[in-house]
Amino acid sequence: MKMKKNTNVRRKRTLITIREQTQCRFCREGRSYIDYKDVDTLSKLLTNRGKIFSRKRSGNCAGCQRKVKRAIKRARFMALLPYTS
Amino acid sequence: METAVKRLYEGLFLVDSAIAAADWQLVADTIHRILEKAQAEVVSFRKWDERKLCYDIGKVSRGTYILVYFNCDPQQVHDIERDVQLSETLLRVMILRTDAMTEQDIQKPTPIMVAQELVQADADKDEQDSQDDIDDIDDIDDIDDIDQSGDTDDRIETE
Repeated sequence: MKMKKNTNVRRKRTLITIREQTQCRFCREGRSYIDYKDVDTLSKLLTNRGKIFSRKRSGNCAGCQRKVKRAIKRARFMALLPYTS
Repeated sequence: METAVKRLYEGLFLVDSAIAAADWQLVADTIHRILEKAQAEVVSFRKWDERKLCYDIGKVSRGTYILVYFNCDPQQVHDIERDVQLSETLLRVMILRTDAMTEQDIQKPTPIMVAQELVQADADKDEQDSQDDIDDIDDIDDIDDIDQSGDTDDRIETE
């Protein structure tokens, strides 16, 4: 019985830690526009090969992921970010 | 239906760094001429950054970016883009409407300005440190004076 209690507590703790961040990184900052010239921010959302991280990996909400996608593609056109490397 | 209302646009022009370094006036003139041709009113014109490109464009590997804010008729934007494609000095341009941007985004300092501020701050800090060192040396001189005076006092006491 004691063992079961311990596992429950662990589960609860992990759930709480996951729930702490309910918003994506851009929503938390209250940014409505994601600038394509902000290369430092955008490069964190790319793999070493230059591919865009999935929503699951980056934790972005659907709207922000679309904005990020657009910003990254604009930055790629202007040679600020790589298409591939 | 034609719109006579002008909108504020943000344009980022990409130029070969070699051309920009050799003849900056030529680059500035080319951009101004293209914008004038489209009857655009330039609000601000500044160098954004000079950096290595993530991939070579033609045989160009380093580029200079020029950030321009201008009021323009929406129908003229396409003409500006076409003129840039035809130009031999300008490599690429990205023109965006500033509706979604906040004033903070527009006024954001450019990477070149940030780098200059950092260099200035370092220079100020070095100057401050050297000044402190000089002050410390002065203090040490004062301490010596005090010691010497102390010695004389001791001598007087012993006498």
